[in-house]
Amino acid sequence: MVSIALLAAALATACGSTGAPTRHELIDSRDNYDPRSLDPAVSTDVPTGRAVGYLFDGLTRFTPDARVEPSLAARWDVTPDGATYTFHLRRGVTFHDGSPLTARTVVASWHRALAPATKSGAASFLFPIKGARDYNGGTVKSIEGLAAPNDSTVVVTLEEPLAIFTKMLAMPVAAIVPEKTPPNFGEHPIGTGPWKLVEWKHDDYLLFAKNPNYFDGAPKSDTLRARIIAEPSTAVAEFESGNVDILQIPASEAGEWVEDESRKPLLMSTPALELVYVGINTTRGPLADARVRQAINYAIDIPRIIERLVGGRGTRAAGVIPPALAGYDSARKPYSYDPARAKALLAEAGHANGIDVELWVGMVPIYQRIAETMQAYLNAVGIRTKIVQRESAAARAAARKGETDMILKDWYADYPDAEDFLYPLLHGANRGAGGNVSFYQNRTFDSLVTASRRELDETKRSALYRQADSLAFIDAPMVFLYFYDELYAVQPWLRHFTPPVIFNGQRWMDVTIDRGSPTSDR
Amino acid sequence: MGTFIVRRLLLAIPTLFGVLVVAFLLLYVAPGDPVEAMIGERADSVTIARLRAQLRLDDPLPQRFAHYAGNVLKGDLGNSYITNRPIVQDIRERFPKTLQLAGAAMLLATVVGLTLGVLSARRPGGLADRFALGLAYLGISFPVYWVGLLLILLFAVTLRWLPPSGYGSLRFLILPALTLGMRSIAFLARMTRSAMLDALNADFVRTARAKGLSERVVTLRHALRNALIPVITVLGLDFGAYLTGSILTETIFSWPGIGRYVVNAISRRDLPAIQGTVLFLSTVFVIVNLLTDLAYAKADPRVRYD
Repeated sequence: MVSIALLAAALATACGSTGAPTRHELIDSRDNYDPRSLDPAVSTDVPTGRAVGYLFDGLTRFTPDARVEPSLAARWDVTPDGATYTFHLRRGVTFHDGSPLTARTVVASWHRALAPATKSGAASFLFPIKGARDYNGGTVKSIEGLAAPNDSTVVVTLEEPLAIFTKMLAMPVAAIVPEKTPPNFGEHPIGTGPWKLVEWKHDDYLLFAKNPNYFDGAPKSDTLRARIIAEPSTAVAEFESGNVDILQIPASEAGEWVEDESRKPLLMSTPALELVYVGINTTRGPLADARVRQAINYAIDIPRIIERLVGGRGTRAAGVIPPALAGYDSARKPYSYDPARAKALLAEAGHANGIDVELWVGMVPIYQRIAETMQAYLNAVGIRTKIVQRESAAARAAARKGETDMILKDWYADYPDAEDFLYPLLHGANRGAGGNVSFYQNRTFDSLVTASRRELDETKRSALYRQADSLAFIDAPMVFLYFYDELYAVQPWLRHFTPPVIFNGQRWMDVTIDRGSPTSDR
Repeated sequence: MGTFIVRRLLLAIPTLFGVLVVAFLLLYVAPGDPVEAMIGERADSVTIARLRAQLRLDDPLPQRFAHYAGNVLKGDLGNSYITNRPIVQDIRERFPKTLQLAGAAMLLATVVGLTLGVLSARRPGGLADRFALGLAYLGISFPVYWVGLLLILLFAVTLRWLPPSGYGSLRFLILPALTLGMRSIAFLARMTRSAMLDALNADFVRTARAKGLSERVVTLRHALRNALIPVITVLGLDFGAYLTGSILTETIFSWPGIGRYVVNAISRRDLPAIQGTVLFLSTVFVIVNLLTDLAYAKADPRVRYD
């Protein structure tokens, strides 16, 4: 560990300015493992989701600042009850192989993603479509809620009204693929997207070339290479050498970058839709008492953790809705650091002699350090904490089964909406496997979230979100830690790059390398 | 010699079967569910149950093992749970790259290590000896991870002579090969030195010198050849370890080899990928050991296998 810190310091001093590269190719360094496949239907990981965003289109898409906008659907109508969507497709869109996109293709794509044989881990995002769940379970032959009355119209009937349905359609799993896909489609994808796949060298790089016929205008650069770099320090070295254009700075190193004057001009920050929290299982022993859970929140000096361990790159959470999303309440005060209050609450709950809990954490170095710090704070107020370290997937599996008192983890938004925090993390319907590892169940909260899912009016919906969030905040089914602010370094020669708020929100459409004046303003 | 090879290969079968059983059981008792890794954060229990059934994860253990072992016998290591690609194809893509890296590291280690060892032994306590000793200390005590990053910092970031990472032309191979081979350079230098000192003091060397052979011939043809046996042992062991243990080096240098593949597979609980690679690498190990034994016979005529 010491060696890494030393090295980072050495790297900081070794950093010299470099002129613009002679290459024409855009090079990304963010992927740290090989995408599992380039088949949208099985996309559940970030590298896959990003690549799918280059190669394919959905009916809708996200902008870098996470707004939803029309893509393959030029526009859509919603019935007043919010349960039926009619999508009007763009005309004249073709796949990379020249075959045309029709309404039938759209219907076939979603059937394919939901077919049991596809073994998609993301199929549940399409379950709002009427009959999709049964089709995925193999009990019916086709999806009732999908129809293509003519070549350019798709009518989708939902199980029940869902205001954010168009956001779900911008997710990788809902991307449109050709009607006939070969068995090795995941290796040789064909989409309608702005980039075509040239080559995929596993664990090495993905190379894309621009699709000159892209319906929205071709990308400004000719090629894009997504390098797969497993080790963050190596990515830093590649950036310092000018071999890559952007760098996602690891949270543990963010502090040094921000303090380094020479590198400051390269930095860009974006509020990632990522909540770091401790799920408190509300059904286990003393943790069933809200006062105990509040005590846990009061016992920990979270601003200090953010400052010391996260390089100051976090916005303190007072609820589960991130500042970047509608429904966020900037007026709500987070739990203060108040050990005396924590002790009082424990005593009030009948645990004056303290309690014993287990805190689970995955093999993520930064979370392990946070867990150890939290342990010290909790022990100090009589919450005797034992840390249980497991491989991340194993820890998550245990939490889903309800076997953990507390688990320190994060949650990335799949789509930019407060619903993607409130519903999976805390709604009673998602207890356990669905993502609610707190096993939180509060009828008022549930009915507020359910109502918000149906509410088509943005303002009313945001108000419902805020109300639900505030309720959960008081019930404290989790330790509300922070929302991570992603820090990027961007080479001075790169033009028009904005770090995306949502993982598939940046498709490098207008990004270019300016070889003329590397020092001029962007 | 022929019967020896056949016998050794036959003996390898129960060894590999043992590996198969252990790899299978270890993963069964280890915590973590492959389906968890497949579905990501948000899922429902119905989907989980269905995927488990499709992957036959709920079948009784003996049945699963029989099914797997049967496929292995047919040369089918199955498909990855995560990528759905055939494991055999994944290994075929990555192993040559690991082999290339291991080969380069070994070559470097042999040339540098042997040279240093011979030079040291010729004048113990001399300048070359002390230099080699210092180098060997560094090589053995520095962690791979640290050295790899230092080399990147020096040769790629500061001097800009070599690329920091990636796979490609010879230039990409130098830093990872040096990182991987460093330990062997150190070991070989020390091993060669002590073996050479023993040999140089032996009677046959005195005889050779008495015959009036040049010092060069005495050292290289007579002494070195006799000093090679322990050296071959180290080479054989290290080469096996390189093929299986280049995980750190491959990770630091973004080398698309089998080490990174295994790490990914483990972190995603990709059972067929882990089992397949473990089985494959064990086979490689067995073969390397066999080749090492054969090399003994080549180096020392007294060693015979019949």
